Amino acid sequence: MTDVMAKSEPEALEESLPAVQRGLPWWANQRFGLVVVITGLVVLFSTLRPSFLNVDLTLVPMQADLSVFVVVGLAQLSVLSLGHMNLAVGRMAALSAFAAGLTYDRLDAPLFVGLLVALVAGALVGAVAGLIITATGISSFVVTLALDFGLLGLVSLLYAGFTDGVAFSVHPAGMDTLRFDNMSDYCSGSVCGPPIPLVVPFALVAMLAVGILFRLSRVGREILMTGSSLRTARLSGIPVNRRILQAHALSGLLCGLAGWLLAMNNGAFSATLGEQFLLPSFLAPVLGGTLLAGGAVSVLGTVLGSTLTTVIQKGLNLLQFQFDQLQILIGGVLLIALSLDRVRHVIAERRGVRT
Amino acid sequence: MRLRATRLVKVFPGVRALDGVNLSLEPGSVHALLGENGAGKSTLIKILTGVYKGDGGTVSVAPDDVAWETVSFGNPHESIAAGIGVVHQERNLVPAFSVAENIALQHLPRKRGIVDRAAMKARAAECLQQLDLDLDLDAPVSSLSVAQMQLVEIAKALATRSRVLLLDEPTSTLTPEEADRLYRVVAKLKDGGCSIVLVSHKLEEVFAVADTVTVLRDGRSVCESRPLADLTRSDVVDLMVGRQFAELEPDALRNPQRTGEPALELDAVSTGRGHREVSLTVHPGEIVGLYGLVGAGRSELARALLGLDRITDGRVLVRGVPTTISSVNEALSKHGIGYVTENRKEEGVFLEQTISRNVAVTIWGRLARLGLVRDRAEDQVLTSYVDSLGIKVSGPRQLAGQLSGGNQQKISLAKWLAADCSILVIDEPTVGIDVRTKAAFHQLIVDLAEKGLAILLITSDLPEMVTLADRILVMHQYRLTGEVDNSEHRYDVASKQVVRLMHAESVA
Amino acid sequence: MSATRVEEARPPAVTTLVHRVGRTEALLFALALIATITLIITTHGNLLHSDTIRAVLQYLAVPIVIGLAQMVVLAVGQMSLSVGVLTGLSAVVSAGLMVDHGVTPWLAVPGALLIGALAGLINGLLVVATRINGFIVTLATMTIISGLRYGVHGTGTYDGYAPGLVKFGRASILGLPTVFLVAVAVAIAVAWFFRRSVAGRQLLASGGNPLAARLSGISNDRSVVLAHALSGLLAGVAGVLVLMLSGSVNASIGDDLLLPSFAAPIIGGVALVGGAVSVLGTCLAAYVVRLVDVAQAQYNINPRWVDLVVGGVVLGAVMLSQSKDGTDET
Repeated sequence: MTDVMAKSEPEALEESLPAVQRGLPWWANQRFGLVVVITGLVVLFSTLRPSFLNVDLTLVPMQADLSVFVVVGLAQLSVLSLGHMNLAVGRMAALSAFAAGLTYDRLDAPLFVGLLVALVAGALVGAVAGLIITATGISSFVVTLALDFGLLGLVSLLYAGFTDGVAFSVHPAGMDTLRFDNMSDYCSGSVCGPPIPLVVPFALVAMLAVGILFRLSRVGREILMTGSSLRTARLSGIPVNRRILQAHALSGLLCGLAGWLLAMNNGAFSATLGEQFLLPSFLAPVLGGTLLAGGAVSVLGTVLGSTLTTVIQKGLNLLQFQFDQLQILIGGVLLIALSLDRVRHVIAERRGVRT
Repeated sequence: MRLRATRLVKVFPGVRALDGVNLSLEPGSVHALLGENGAGKSTLIKILTGVYKGDGGTVSVAPDDVAWETVSFGNPHESIAAGIGVVHQERNLVPAFSVAENIALQHLPRKRGIVDRAAMKARAAECLQQLDLDLDLDAPVSSLSVAQMQLVEIAKALATRSRVLLLDEPTSTLTPEEADRLYRVVAKLKDGGCSIVLVSHKLEEVFAVADTVTVLRDGRSVCESRPLADLTRSDVVDLMVGRQFAELEPDALRNPQRTGEPALELDAVSTGRGHREVSLTVHPGEIVGLYGLVGAGRSELARALLGLDRITDGRVLVRGVPTTISSVNEALSKHGIGYVTENRKEEGVFLEQTISRNVAVTIWGRLARLGLVRDRAEDQVLTSYVDSLGIKVSGPRQLAGQLSGGNQQKISLAKWLAADCSILVIDEPTVGIDVRTKAAFHQLIVDLAEKGLAILLITSDLPEMVTLADRILVMHQYRLTGEVDNSEHRYDVASKQVVRLMHAESVA
Repeated sequence: MSATRVEEARPPAVTTLVHRVGRTEALLFALALIATITLIITTHGNLLHSDTIRAVLQYLAVPIVIGLAQMVVLAVGQMSLSVGVLTGLSAVVSAGLMVDHGVTPWLAVPGALLIGALAGLINGLLVVATRINGFIVTLATMTIISGLRYGVHGTGTYDGYAPGLVKFGRASILGLPTVFLVAVAVAIAVAWFFRRSVAGRQLLASGGNPLAARLSGISNDRSVVLAHALSGLLAGVAGVLVLMLSGSVNASIGDDLLLPSFAAPIIGGVALVGGAVSVLGTCLAAYVVRLVDVAQAQYNINPRWVDLVVGGVVLGAVMLSQSKDGTDET
């Protein structure tokens, strides 16, 4: 029973209006805006440095990097859907990559078996996080932060114990192909494929799967509803604990994929894999319009967000910006994105109050 | 300090929460503020404490009891600064701080940026002494009992020089001894010239402690600052619940068959929340009402039924078969039980999702082909309910939070209808909804019963209860105190019986 | 008329003392004592050599200060990811001023403090302005500051600056290293701030019950900004300590300070939800972790095990403290 001083309906209505005004019109604008900015930057960079458009020098490696970071962004998006966070994306990737590397090294496994192992390992770790969250009620923020710390030591230890010290240098059959070939190397007759690295299809599959999950599937919808309002979801018959677990497991699985792809790109499985994942994992979804509060995600936006950051990085690289200067700029971009989000919120609030 | 609220008005979209309320507080009095839920008490208090700004009327104070000045509070802090203190139902203290520090928090005595501990303790001790309280000043507040914390909050109000103190349901979580102690302290405050406003549903307490009373009903003050001595308990109850009979339209043609198996039966059910031996039946086509006060345990019973709380004893039978329900999902999919929650904003409706998703959320399992759901399928479901329930929407992609309260409530209901529930628990369906939509809702509920649904209706709106329910069960402190046959839907008869049953414990 | 007696039964004196000091702190003290004694015994008294003691305490200084830097923001229920890299930035800028621009240490050292405080202030203002979780904001600023470090002198090293300062940093007074004494002084100052100053009490009120604080006229926004600014200042102090002790600094300083900055207060019993601090707990926890390092060196244990154990303990401590509070889901 509502007590006398509890939020009466009219008050809650006033408070809910602003957030609710953040409706469809903003989405479309944001993704369109990203496309505009990306195009603008590409034009800018290629004008300043024509080698930006050089296929072998820039475009191909860029796509390879992009594939990894798109998947990383999707990993974070999976839990942002719930309004949660996964602060252990990097370590989950490292752990999964370790599992794959171990399989290649000790069991001489074929390429795709290693991939499977990475996916399963990642999913398991993610599920553990989800389990702790649903069992203890502790926030995802705290659980994944602590997990990150715990995994930090574990990963170094595992690599130290099972490799020559830092990395698996095993090369399973097919790894070099994935790493160095792209579709233009495959010709039938005189028609060759486009200059797209072979790692790209993996990212595309991930995009498609996650997109279908959240856009069309029942599980995805229920996850989004859980993110929108946990209490309402529970009282509407959604098995919230199961959905939370599934979202976190998905995140872990995607971390595993990202880790494996990065290892493929680098040609080695090392303990430091994934160290750079955390910031991009947030940057891509946030830029793309995914709400930190949960309830709404944008796969396309995340892809565009990743593209924007990758373009910036590659372009600045070519302009001979140092790594550290890159860091500064990328951090700045995230801050601007966050501030813009706030500005959008404030504008929507004003609109809501006026109507 | 004297305080006067004159013709206060507060309007929310579609609802006139306050419609010309008058309140007059004199120093040295305990003034009871009474009224049913939705009568406007909490809105009035929120205006006085600076949470809301009134839309009409004035609030004026006379700090020296003589000269009046109009005041308007932009935030709670301004209200406190003007001398109005409030003790809410939830505790509002800093847990790690000591008693003395919490009392003195507003004006920490200081010397060049450093807390003057001695002065702080002296100040706190002074407040405690004025209230004749003996608490350890250095004890961290987190180590106190709830009753003690409440007393600290009252001491805090003294420290901030409150001349008016609002107490909101102060004894709802206290034992009788603790309540006595509380009121002794309140008496001390009164002697000191404070005006106390007591919001309480416990009429026994009100009559024991208060000297003046104001009763609110439907946003108006139907009884303004009258001496309590002039009124009997039943006068007060009449004022609180009285209605013009013209508004009611009991449907005398309804005659639900109470034969055959009940759709839902509770047999001597006890729960982990404290329910003891609750037994009731609901037959298909019947509307059984569950009436009671704040904290009586009605919504908690519904939650236990849905598997959200433990049932420790007794049996729950659905269509004659004893079952245990462990989740809302199970209640819905296996037994066809739906629960239209009382708190639609936080529990009934997904404000930031589209209305089509809101309605389809319970049936995605059915709509899904290979795990995927088409938007079109959702939209079709929505359309049928928009039509049958008369919901005003601008399109299936409209966000639920943009609808009016009444329409949101219909969406909240629609999802259960979409799921083909045969048993519906409806909790406070028309809180904060305007009169016209209320009537439409009532007709909706009656129609559902006519179609054969078994409905358990929880509401604290007595006229609504009498209009709709075929039988009214009264719950008081987690037990059922009795049943009223309401087949004639006559307000004058039923309301008296219900209220009598509600206060049955106090009569003894 | 006798006053209304509100006291329930008084608990025994020992319990009251422990309650005052804090259960975690008492536990940690016992743990530290046991660990120290154990190490002394098992190393056959090696631990008591003045050289060993000096080494232990010298390298305890920075973890203590960095732990306090994190503790200060934990007090308002926030977190700061940038404390580690900010230490590095302060150290590098300060060294740069001295080496490249011939600035006297009397100005360069306060300069380091100023940078820290300024960066912290900006963090706080950003958190308040964007209304976003401090974690994400400081994730962004950490990235920025991380890059800025390299902007001073690239990947090069500064050494040979202010020999007087370094000599002071490596000296001992009465057998106790100066840097350690500075850290202790800082700890005492922080403890005093939270216990006696009005600003400190208001900060704790904001962390403990933001609504009650607001109703008492305390500005929660101001508390958050102040907490971040203080945290930055303390990171600057840590930077100065690094400067004094190591004699050579480069841009990678601070990369490995993030985990210790959390480990010390969390193991020390400081709640992540805010409202409570424990300087004693933080220092004791830093000391215990330091002892673990000593043991690792002494027994040639794989350092990764230390990482794992510390990480696991942090995880456990967080879960224990949160489930005690019974926090609701995000």
